[in-house]
Parts: sequence; C-alpha cells; structure tokens
Amino acid sequence: MKSKIIIIAAIVMLIAIMGYMAWDLFLSAPPEAKNPWEYKVGDLKRVDSSILNYIEMKPFKPEMEEVHGVDVDSSGTIYVVGKNRVGIFGRDGNLKNSFPISGIGTCITMRNQLIYVGILDHIELFNMSGDRIKRWKRTAPGSVITSIAVNGNDVFLADAGNKMVYRYTAAGKLLNRIGQKDTVQNIPGFVIPSPYFDLAIGKDRTLWVVNPGRHSFEHYTMEGHLLNSWGSASNSTAGFCGCCNPTNFALLNDGSFVTSEKGIERIKIYSNEGVYRELVATPEMFAEGVKGLDLAVDPQGRILVLDPAKNQVRVFVRK
Amino acid sequence: MFRKSREFWLLLLLMLLAGSSFAIQRFPRPEFETGYQQPETMLPGPRAEIMAVVDLAVLILALSAVSWMVLKKRSRKGVFWVSMFSLVYFGFYREGCICAVGSVQNVTLALFDPTYPIPLTVLAFFIIPLIFTLFFGRTFCAGVCPFGAMQDLVAFRPKTINSKVDAALGMMPYLYLGLAVLFAATGTDFIICRYDPFVGIFRINAGFSMLLFAAILLLTGIFIARPYCRYLCPYGVLLNWISRFSYRHMTITPAECINCRLCENSCPYGAIKIPNSVKYAETRRQRVRKLMFITLLFPFLMVGGGWAGSRLQETFAGVNRTVKLAKELLVSDQNGQDVESFEIKAFRSSGKPLTEVYQEARIILHRFLIGGWILGAFLGLTTGLMVAGKLLENHQSDYVPDKGACLSCARCTDYCPVMGNTMPTELNHKA
Repeated sequence: MKSKIIIIAAIVMLIAIMGYMAWDLFLSAPPEAKNPWEYKVGDLKRVDSSILNYIEMKPFKPEMEEVHGVDVDSSGTIYVVGKNRVGIFGRDGNLKNSFPISGIGTCITMRNQLIYVGILDHIELFNMSGDRIKRWKRTAPGSVITSIAVNGNDVFLADAGNKMVYRYTAAGKLLNRIGQKDTVQNIPGFVIPSPYFDLAIGKDRTLWVVNPGRHSFEHYTMEGHLLNSWGSASNSTAGFCGCCNPTNFALLNDGSFVTSEKGIERIKIYSNEGVYRELVATPEMFAEGVKGLDLAVDPQGRILVLDPAKNQVRVFVRK
Repeated sequence: MFRKSREFWLLLLLMLLAGSSFAIQRFPRPEFETGYQQPETMLPGPRAEIMAVVDLAVLILALSAVSWMVLKKRSRKGVFWVSMFSLVYFGFYREGCICAVGSVQNVTLALFDPTYPIPLTVLAFFIIPLIFTLFFGRTFCAGVCPFGAMQDLVAFRPKTINSKVDAALGMMPYLYLGLAVLFAATGTDFIICRYDPFVGIFRINAGFSMLLFAAILLLTGIFIARPYCRYLCPYGVLLNWISRFSYRHMTITPAECINCRLCENSCPYGAIKIPNSVKYAETRRQRVRKLMFITLLFPFLMVGGGWAGSRLQETFAGVNRTVKLAKELLVSDQNGQDVESFEIKAFRSSGKPLTEVYQEARIILHRFLIGGWILGAFLGLTTGLMVAGKLLENHQSDYVPDKGACLSCARCTDYCPVMGNTMPTELNHKA
C-alpha cells in the first residue's frame, strides 16, 4: 500500500513536470512590458527625511532664464547668473541689482568688489553697478568655464571642455595649468564626462577641485602639486554614484564640504577630511533628472542651492 | 541699378547673420569626451581544437569500455564506474555540453537551415552513440550519458510501475522529440536545452525552476529509476529504435535461460520480457481480423494525428519569437495599447517595416502547419506501432531484455546464476 502511494506520488510529480514544461512553452504570459534593462535608481532615492538636520526656508526666484551659477559674498549678498543676466540679491532674496550679459552665464563669483562671470568660454569682469570692466580673451579652444574661484591675486577657472584648471592673475594673465595627467607627480587627470566641474578655495588657501569621473575631490597647491584626494564610488549615501558625481560643491565655514549630485539628486555634507557626515536634502525634494545644483554657503552657514528645474534659489538652514 | 545693388548687399548681410545664428554654441554641451580609454573587449578564448578531439576520443573510449563491460565482462560494477567517470567528465568537467541528447536539435537545424554550420564534434556526438547502439545496444545510456549516471546514483528504491501507466508515460519522449525537431526545424527554439534538468547542477548555476526541475526528477528517481531517460529523453527514442536492430545486444543469461526467475525483478526499468508460454492459439479468422484492424488503424491514427497537429499550428507557432512579435504588434495596433512591450519598442526603433514582420510570421505559420501535420502523423504512427506491438506479441519462452527499452546497465546479469555454458554447481545439485 505504502509502495503504491509512493509510486502514485512520483508519477504525479513527473506529470507535474511535463505539465509545467507545456505551460511554460505554450501558455506562459508574454514578457512584461517594462524594459528589463531600465536604469532604475528608485530604491536608492528613498531616504527617511526624518533624519535630516536641515530644514528648507522660503526660496526665491532670480527671475531669469536658465540659471547656472550662484555665489555669496562675505556680507551675505547673493549673486546669480543665468542666460543673458546677472542678479544681485539681498540675504532675504530681495533684488538689489540686475544687469545684462551677452550670452549664457555659466558661473559667477564676487571678490574685491569685482564680479567675475564665466560666459561659456571666457570671463567677463563687472563692477557692482553692472558695468563691464574687462573681457578676458577665450581661455582655450573648446572651453566651457563651469567654475571660478579667487584667492588674493589668483583667479582659478575650471574648464570642463578641456578638463583643466587654469590659474590666472587678476589682470588676466595665465600663470599655470593644473590637473593635467602626470604619472610622475601622480596626478590622475580630470575625468569630466558631463559639463559639471567645480572648484573652490579652502580655508588654508589651497585649491579643492572635484574630479567627478573619479568620484573624488582633489587638493592642489596654487602651483598645481597634488596634495591629497578623497572620495569613493558607491551606491550608498556615503559615496558618489553614477558616471560622474558630485557635480557641484561649496565649503562650509568650518572647512567641511557641501556636495550636490545628479542622477540621485541630493545634497550632502562631508567633513574636511572627507568623512560623510549628513544629508541636507533628499532626492524627493528635487525634480527628477535635475542636474547642476550649484551651491553656495553664506556667512551664517545657510546652504544656498540653485535649482535649475524650479528656477529658484533654495535655502537650507540647520534646525 | 543702385537700388538693386543695395538689395543684394542687404540680402548677403541677412544670410551672414542667419549663418552666424546657426553657429551659436549651446550650453550645456552634450556629453564630452572623457579621455577615458575604453578597454578592449575581452572575450574568453575559444576552446582549443585539440580538446574537441579529446572529447570525441573520451566518448569513443567510454562507449567501448561500457560495451566491453556489458557484453564481455557482464560486469555491473564496471559499467557503474565508467558511468561515474562519464558523469565527472561529460557532466561536471564539460558542464553538460557537448551533449548527444541536445545534438538532435543541432542536426535538425542543420538539415533545415543551410546557413547553420553544424560543428563536426556535435555531429559526431549525435552519430557515434547511434552507431554503437546499432552494434551493441544502448551502452551509451548505460554508462556514458551523464544524465543517466546522475539518475542512477539516486535510484535507491526502484519500484515497478503498472505496465499501462508505463506505456502511457512512455509516449512522452516521442512527443518531446517531435516538438524538439519541429521547433529546431523552424528555427524557433532548442527546447531540449531549455528544459535540460541537470545542466544547472553540472554548472553549479541555475535558475529556480531549473533547480526545482532537477530536484523533482532526482526525488522521483529514488522510486522510479531514471525517470528522465524513460519518460522524457528524446534522444532515447532514437536509441530505442536503433537498439531493436542491434547486432549484438546484451543477454541476461550467457547461455541458455533456465527460467529460474531470479532476474524477473532485477530490472529497475521494467525492460525484461517475461516468457508468455501459455498463449492461446488464435484462429485464422481472429488473425485476419486483427491484421485488418491494424491495417486500418495506422492511416486513421496518422491522418487523425496529423489533422490534430495542424489544428495546433497557432499554438506551436506562438512559441516562435517572430510570430509572437507579429501578434503583439497586431494587438497593439488594433487596441492602441498605452504601454508597449520592450520587444515592440525595440522593433519600432529598428525602422523595419511592419509588413515585413507580418510576412515573415505568415511564412513561419505555414511551416508550422506542415510541421503540425508531420508531428501529428508521427505520433499517430508511434501509437499505432505500440498498439500493433501489443496485439502481435510473439511467443517467447525465455527471460530476455526488451532490446528497445533495455538500457544495457547489466544489473540483471548479476542475478543470473548461469555461468558461461554450464550451470553453477549449486544449481546442478538442486536439479
């Protein structure tokens, strides 16, 4: 009897296998409509916003097309550049001044009462009234200037088109190139797959440049000697992911880094040694696919985020 | 004159301005060149040609060794150890590929698609076991096929299956072979490989359904010896046919059978023919009736089967990728679906005209119509042969292996007390 049951069970299993084969071959549902190779980062974007130590304040609109760059001076005045226009705003976002420029402003900085505006492939200098003081000649063929930083008499330009940082005098004379691949000096060279390439002057008056293709920050002397670097490629919040991140950064008053990313749109803070500290803004706070979230930090430590999708300067303050 | 000249210069100026407006650079630019050196695509090197020769040599040596063990040495132990070697070599080392079972499809495709270059090794793996079977019976199944060796390892408690159930399940390999040939001939799929149960174990890498398939077969194999070989293996069908005409098939006894019945239950595959000496004598009329029935049965089964197969044309063709795509496109265009499948999106982006796919699908459908007729007729023929075999069973007085179903595993030889041309002493005493 027991033997009979075993045989029946075994035969049923065999028939089940044959049935499965027939079902799979002839009756199984057609493949799902969705693309199996779809680029999906939905899960990576989900972050618990209760862990945030920053809150968003009322943003303001710079009222210009295609915003690309933001900067803050020591008095807290905010400078925004976009297509054909520069806007100067007070701490609360009230417009102080606005003046036209000839072209698409890609980056901006203000030092020594001079406003430096990167206009695609060259630099123009304006006074606070908006009068053009000087127009530097084109940096190099194919240049796309994406960031400017001034340190005393030195002006540093990040050229995404030529994957190079240029050091100029305030008078516009080229002093040296920084970041060219050099195996002897152990300089890896900048990897810039997309037009986002940022730099800033550190507290110790040295130069920090983001190398987005290598997901790292590189630390240089004024002369272009590589001091050190930090950063890691990772899908976790503590790292940078995708082809090329971070896209932009700014330095907080204590020397730590505020970074922005594309793909997984988020703002994060790292210590001055490159250790991940916290999240300022989660991907849910940004429009999907927004790129080039330029950053600035004002003297009060507020983090200003230029959001090209919303055409706003968004303000984040520590709770 | 002056006015005309002014108009000319104005026109020229406008053209220059228009030209310069096209030259405005956009920001941000599209992706830049990164300077990153794309590494050369690394492909695994092809297997050395000499290794294909080694595979063939191992196949021939293993077949020879098993044939020798079965026919000369009559040693089950020897067959077992050769089968273990084959399991290691053809199973785990060669990862179940190249395989004689699957080669049926390659050979079929090569016959129907002249653009398909069948590797000589595959052809040899298809033909050599058939040649050995023609001479020595299914020695390939006994000790060379890794699938068989795998199942033999778990056949701990084989039970006898009811002969009717066994016959019904025994039809499955014919259906499987027919479908495998149909799908290979139409360039649709290699279903033997798709439902290969053990390759996942050999490669230690398989999807859930494949592992489950193997697990169920092995679990079943504890009580029903070699379930895949007996009730699924399509290559076994060919071996079964050829083995019936084998020149020197193994025998249970090395000399005359003494009808001691010791071997009666020794075969876990139910492949021993038991003597049917008490068969009643048929009248001439009964014989004529039987023959007439069989004569009418064959065309009826073949035409009926063919008709049924042709009715399944669309079901069979539904497995074909082109037909599937054409169907989806038709439904999508008729119903205006919002979400289109990835296949449809890929097709639309290819720019290929819709009519071309429909035309291709029509041709494939026609092939399946013919294939359906042939498959149905083939199944009708095999059913008829099975019925005729039962009806026209010949008288037989000894215990002999069923040459078609016998896997030449040599288990029964261990049970046979007959030694060479003399009876063992013990039995002589008893006699």
